[in-house]
Amino acid sequence: MPKVIIPPPYRGPTQGTGEVEVEGTTVLECLEAVDHKYPGFLAQILDGDGAVHRYVKLFQNGDVLDAGAALRTVLEPRDELEVLAAIAGG
Amino acid sequence: MSGPSGDKLIYVDMTDQSVSVKDFPDEWKLLGGRALSAKILLAECDPSCDPLGPDNVLVMAPGVLSGTAAPTSGRISIGGKSPLTGGIKEANTGGQPGQHLMKLNVRGIVVKGQPADANARFALEVTADDAKIVAADDHKGKWNYALCMDLHEQYPKTSSFITCGPAGEMRLTGASVATTDQDNRYPARHAARGGLGAVMGSKGLKYVMVDPGKSGVRQPADRKPFGELCKTYTKDYLDGPQMFKTGTSSVVPVANMLHTFPYKNRVEGQSPDAQTLDGARIVESFETRGGEMHNCMTGCIVKCSNVVHDAQGEYKTSALEFETLTLLGANCAVASWEDVADMDRLCDEVGLDTIETGAAIAILMDAGQLEWGDAAAMKKLIAEIPEGTDRGKAIGNGAVATGKFTGHHRVPTGKGQAIPAWDPRPLKATGVSYCTSPMGADHTAGLIVNPGLQPDQFAWESQKVQIVNAVCDSSGFCQFLQPNLDNIRGFYGALYGEEVTREQIHDQGWQCLEDEWEFNRQAGFTAADDRLADCLMQDAIGAEGMKQVFDVPAEIIQAVYKRMPAQDDLFEAKASG
Repeated sequence: MPKVIIPPPYRGPTQGTGEVEVEGTTVLECLEAVDHKYPGFLAQILDGDGAVHRYVKLFQNGDVLDAGAALRTVLEPRDELEVLAAIAGG
Repeated sequence: MSGPSGDKLIYVDMTDQSVSVKDFPDEWKLLGGRALSAKILLAECDPSCDPLGPDNVLVMAPGVLSGTAAPTSGRISIGGKSPLTGGIKEANTGGQPGQHLMKLNVRGIVVKGQPADANARFALEVTADDAKIVAADDHKGKWNYALCMDLHEQYPKTSSFITCGPAGEMRLTGASVATTDQDNRYPARHAARGGLGAVMGSKGLKYVMVDPGKSGVRQPADRKPFGELCKTYTKDYLDGPQMFKTGTSSVVPVANMLHTFPYKNRVEGQSPDAQTLDGARIVESFETRGGEMHNCMTGCIVKCSNVVHDAQGEYKTSALEFETLTLLGANCAVASWEDVADMDRLCDEVGLDTIETGAAIAILMDAGQLEWGDAAAMKKLIAEIPEGTDRGKAIGNGAVATGKFTGHHRVPTGKGQAIPAWDPRPLKATGVSYCTSPMGADHTAGLIVNPGLQPDQFAWESQKVQIVNAVCDSSGFCQFLQPNLDNIRGFYGALYGEEVTREQIHDQGWQCLEDEWEFNRQAGFTAADDRLADCLMQDAIGAEGMKQVFDVPAEIIQAVYKRMPAQDDLFEAKASG
């Protein structure tokens, strides 16, 4: 099963869980599966139109996914899908 | 010893304006920035002193790696006893002076005493040949940009400056210390927190000029491995996500989502104006107005600093940061990033911490003495601070002073210092850092943006990030480069040609905190001071049905003071501030 890696800022709904293995063949299906287990997770990643928020970046096995096509990207069972968020003060 | 040698400390006594130079102790070679400042202050400054009196000591210390070819490593720490918190304080900043001082082998400047004539102004000039105090009465009262324009005329083009604005000269406890950046040599970088500008002003020191002349970069023990490390680290960073390449202001939507974008003196955690305050609007403005992302110091690969232009395409300010957009924007119900840019420039001009100033104005508004969102009145108010009006002085002295001035009850602070944007109610582990950090409520000392952490994790997560940030702030690396302890000890080892172990780097971070906590203990702080303002423990914020207050039990907070065994995650955790 693909593994979804969740960054600390988005671990509110997961109650601190940082890695979740889920059933799914696309990025969207995997993210939805995380949301099914931890309601509220997906709203952090997608905007009202169902697109990836501008400030969220998704990586498949370390390679950044193009924002437009990211959700349709096919994941293999041993893939890692990493969510990243920029966080800093200044 | 191999690696850089011939290092020195410059001691300045402002009472008689004398300067002496001492050899830098070899056993301190891995002490720089914050850790060096703490070591000097604990040894040479009476913790019970009046922070604005002659017995306070002002330290200016670049990081261990500053002046070398290590990427983004030129930060300089300003340290002293804070007139705002009453405890030890270190605030660090970018710009060029840290790089320049280290190219001259100056590991630190230690300023003591006070001139008999409080109206006299002086400057310290540091060159390859000399360090001396000169009269600077002609520059008295000048705003930072005007001051630096004049200094650029007065000194060689190779020089950089550390300056004190009128707020510092007036000894206002929200005053910052400014440094000039590399491109236009504007005084746009600030060691802002804790009122250290007031300490500089109390010593009659208007500016420090550093001219490295033709001095080259500091040479490591062995150029090849150090060069390889710089190259590999830079490549890895540039091949990575570069999360800060559009600046910290791009964090606004995430912070708003997490209910840590405070609105109207923190009565809400989200602002209805997040869209118009989002740093993305600033980046969009580059196309029509000019402006760009740039590096504030030579050798920076992060380039998180936005250069903001006005509608006419003229330079306005740099950098307009997330914290400023939050405290002077959302927290005062100001909706326009352009208004915040104007206020950021004003604060840089007067020499004020934008966090403390924004928090203070929000208290004034909450008390009904200024309309919410009235940006024009806010600009007028900041500009009146140098005139010395009662209201201006209250704002310039920060949140607690403004609370007293207005008699208002809601004063969101920790140890006398305004809470930064990152709110301790949704981010409780960050609140634990605010309670226990020797720096008080300062996000750069221990930011933990993880709302899913469980209470039994708070103490270790806070201790861990406080250690990592203490080491980072001693190295000269910028926190936005996000180095971890393994990265930093790798650079140290290559610089001096000897291995620095995990245990050593852990010890160094812990010792820095211990030195600072000991200073605070001697200044009179006890466990009873490790708390946040009542309003943060009583007024809940958050999503409907999930509102939270800061309610972490004292035993969890106090657990931070007991050193915990290192685990691998200590050495892999990235600096975060």
